[in-house]
Amino acid sequence: MEHVEETILEFDGIVKKYKTRAFLFGARGQDVVALNEINIKITRGEIFGLVGESGSGKTTAGRLIVRLEEPERGKIYLDGNEITGLKGKISKDYSRKVQMIFQDPYQSLNPQLSVYDTISEPLIIHKIGNGKARENVVLQTMKSVGLSPPHDFAHRFPHQLSGGQRQRIAIARAMVLNPEFVVADEPTSMLDASMSAQIFNILLDMRKQFNVTILFITHSLAAARYLCERIAVMYRGNLMETGPADDVLKNPKHPYTQALIDALPKFGNSRDVNRYDTLLRSERVPSEHIGCPFFLRCSCADQIKCSHEKPPLMRLGDSHSVACFYAEP
Amino acid sequence: MTTADTGIELSERLQWMNRLIEGWSIYKKNLLGKIGIILLVLFALMALCSFIPPLLDPMYQPMAGVDPEISTATGPSTRHWLGTDFMGRDILSQLLTGARIAFMVGVSAAFMSVFLGTAIGMIAGYVGKFMDTLLMRLADMIMVMPALLVLLMLAALFGQLSIWFIVFFIALFRWPGVSRVIRAQTLSLKHRPFIEAAKVAGASNLRIIFRHIMPNVLPLSFLYMTFQVTSAIIIEAALAFLGFGDPGTVSWGMMLQWVWKTGHMFRAPYWLLPPGICISLITLSFYMLGRAMDEVLDPRLRKEGETD
Amino acid sequence: MALLVVDNLSVGYQGQKGYLQALEGISFSLEAGKSLGFVGESGCGKTTLGMAVMRLMPSNGFIRNGRIIFDGEDLLEKTDEEMRRIRWQKIAMIFQSAMNALNPVHRVCNQIVEAIVTHSPLIDKKEAYEQVRDLFQLVGLPENRIRDYPHQYSGGMKQRAIIAMALACNPQLIIADEPTTALDVIVQDQILDEIKNIQTELNISVIYISHDISIVADVCHHIGVMYAGQLVEYGAREEVFNNPMHPYTRALLSSYPTLTGEKSHLMPIPGEAPNLINPPSGCRFSDRCAEARETCRRNHSVWLELAPTHKVLCHQCGKNCGQ
Repeated sequence: MEHVEETILEFDGIVKKYKTRAFLFGARGQDVVALNEINIKITRGEIFGLVGESGSGKTTAGRLIVRLEEPERGKIYLDGNEITGLKGKISKDYSRKVQMIFQDPYQSLNPQLSVYDTISEPLIIHKIGNGKARENVVLQTMKSVGLSPPHDFAHRFPHQLSGGQRQRIAIARAMVLNPEFVVADEPTSMLDASMSAQIFNILLDMRKQFNVTILFITHSLAAARYLCERIAVMYRGNLMETGPADDVLKNPKHPYTQALIDALPKFGNSRDVNRYDTLLRSERVPSEHIGCPFFLRCSCADQIKCSHEKPPLMRLGDSHSVACFYAEP
Repeated sequence: MTTADTGIELSERLQWMNRLIEGWSIYKKNLLGKIGIILLVLFALMALCSFIPPLLDPMYQPMAGVDPEISTATGPSTRHWLGTDFMGRDILSQLLTGARIAFMVGVSAAFMSVFLGTAIGMIAGYVGKFMDTLLMRLADMIMVMPALLVLLMLAALFGQLSIWFIVFFIALFRWPGVSRVIRAQTLSLKHRPFIEAAKVAGASNLRIIFRHIMPNVLPLSFLYMTFQVTSAIIIEAALAFLGFGDPGTVSWGMMLQWVWKTGHMFRAPYWLLPPGICISLITLSFYMLGRAMDEVLDPRLRKEGETD
Repeated sequence: MALLVVDNLSVGYQGQKGYLQALEGISFSLEAGKSLGFVGESGCGKTTLGMAVMRLMPSNGFIRNGRIIFDGEDLLEKTDEEMRRIRWQKIAMIFQSAMNALNPVHRVCNQIVEAIVTHSPLIDKKEAYEQVRDLFQLVGLPENRIRDYPHQYSGGMKQRAIIAMALACNPQLIIADEPTTALDVIVQDQILDEIKNIQTELNISVIYISHDISIVADVCHHIGVMYAGQLVEYGAREEVFNNPMHPYTRALLSSYPTLTGEKSHLMPIPGEAPNLINPPSGCRFSDRCAEARETCRRNHSVWLELAPTHKVLCHQCGKNCGQ
């Protein structure tokens, strides 16, 4: 699909911290750095994958984009306009352009609202159309996510529907405003394989129909490969590797990405020899180090350099960047 | 049906009916609930029938009606099924009127306190920060005050209190309890993904409170209303018994006051027992109603074998 | 001789809306020291199967018929007291989200000691503590963390502690129900390795229940695919994965995105799983199966043996599907 290489969303030096409270008589509350100087550029019309394990900061990044949280430092730009710190009417207009699909289909729908009410809510909030016009938009959106025939589902309640159906409602709710950008936060992690597959295909369909840009947050490398043109791998709030999905997953350059790929269960073949073997069997003893975030678990790290210097994201080849001193192109 | 009604909104109303029916079928299974409802229906009938005796004969008027032939407390007879009080007034009509008063006081006070408590609890819980602290400290102060004593002081200050004054003040003393519970519920709902989804969709705080939090909190409010009713009825009865009720109203507490004041406590069981038993039973039945409703409203409490 | 033989097991739940047939005619056998994995989507009955073998059904659950023969004895004929002695000492279970099974106010070592002492009253606390130290070493937990509280452990460590607890009384069989669902990929890989090592070292049989077919393929010698309360395919892992026969197995395998190989369009399975209160009379997968015929919808499926260890519950296989 031809689209102009235009940046729709940009993270510029984003830092986000959380304060943890002291646990009873334990250590005083410390700051947890959820995102550490993140820079990302997402192109209009693409599906961009943010991949990482828990604690990587990927969900936090998504929440910053939909403004559920504000960053400590740095700026986020949508279409070149700064969105950090927006208030009032501009903030409400923003929500017409940027929407989110949440992870838990069992919690992200108001149990007291019918399917119709849930999906028509954004239209009512933004005062779009009158009763009849609204109904058309809602029914049309329901059809496009596969809730057909729409009248069968419109007056049902979430607890009567399966996880896959609920997630479709969540997608319909996000798409009903025809947004420019959608954050999909692990939309299938609570669903079975078959329902997940349906949701993936719906997301692809949405992108085709509405030309919406999607940030796909996931812990599954395989899902990222299936859906995304480009991906970024995150670890403990830092970007480790970014680039075209196929490239990063076939030829991973960062030891962490390599460890992730090694850790995947292998279908049927009991290969016990890891391909890259970049993970230490047990972590190094932590000491005050400001170097590479992966240093404590990396088997190919240099004791001096990697523990004292933080590797920046360095471009290796065709838009493939790696945050490692020893990555080879 | 206006032109704005769509087929979808119509079927939504049917959905409400379905939920009611579903709720009822679960409620039915609870023995306490059944007993509670039966008792409440009986009391409601009593309240309704309270209008009948005075229509039959003016001597059956609970307050003013006096049997021309009787001027002392007498036991049950064909003319007076429960007997008469010390002035010759029919006890049964007083009892029936008492039922009406009990419902009125109980339900009004409960409704007002729950209305206030829910609104305040939701706002405190959702808005948080300074508003939360302000409202909750206010609630604390009120909770600490002994309701009955304050009402007694007010009665002493203002002379007799009217029944609506009493209702109003009961509500004023009882909203903090409700607001604490509603606030807790709101706090737990506040961070649920569907609330965040509403924020992301651009909903204002007000919209979130009334469209998203309130429907999820109302079942709890209704539940608390049943507990509040019992509390209100007992406070009113206590006030009346102590002599600080509305002298123009015949309530069960007032009846007990008359028994006591006129020294008939141990001499006229037909006069003493009915109002006492009624007070106990009506509070018990509201409590049972509340317990059974609890099971309907919170699916997790349903007994096994009732999963759907 | 097989350690566990389940013969024609049928289990159901009595609900408000009727009798739900959770399991229907399940039969399989498990040798000592081998592992068997059950794969299926939610609602297929795999968790019920694990609970049934342990006889931990809730009060509205019934084992309608069948036999569960463990070490030569039918578990369904045991009394509650006898089952209590078998549980944990002979058969141990790791439940879903077992990490939450650790009591937050007791130290981890004390919880495991209690598990040991409860089931083997002859062992005193000191001995039990020594055993806990051995167990920690076995599951790869550092010894200096033995006296910590659960909240000080990471997710992976808690899971290892749970595995240690399951191993505490030297069971012959462990039933693990989705033990790694809540864990990250790297930790999951390490835990699976531990389980494999423990299994070979201690010669324990493992029943592994998961919705993730790739995990089961990694860990287990044999695989059983479940759908709508029935076992639809059963065989050695290579057979089931390289040569899936049942249309559901094949559909399931093609609904997973892969990291390697050709990037093909994912084919989700159309429709929904059948209602188990009124299951269809014929094959339960027939209304979603691309290859269904009239016979499939009308008649109960039968077991077709494709190889000595590979069987399929289907009308069509052997004739039309596969080679």
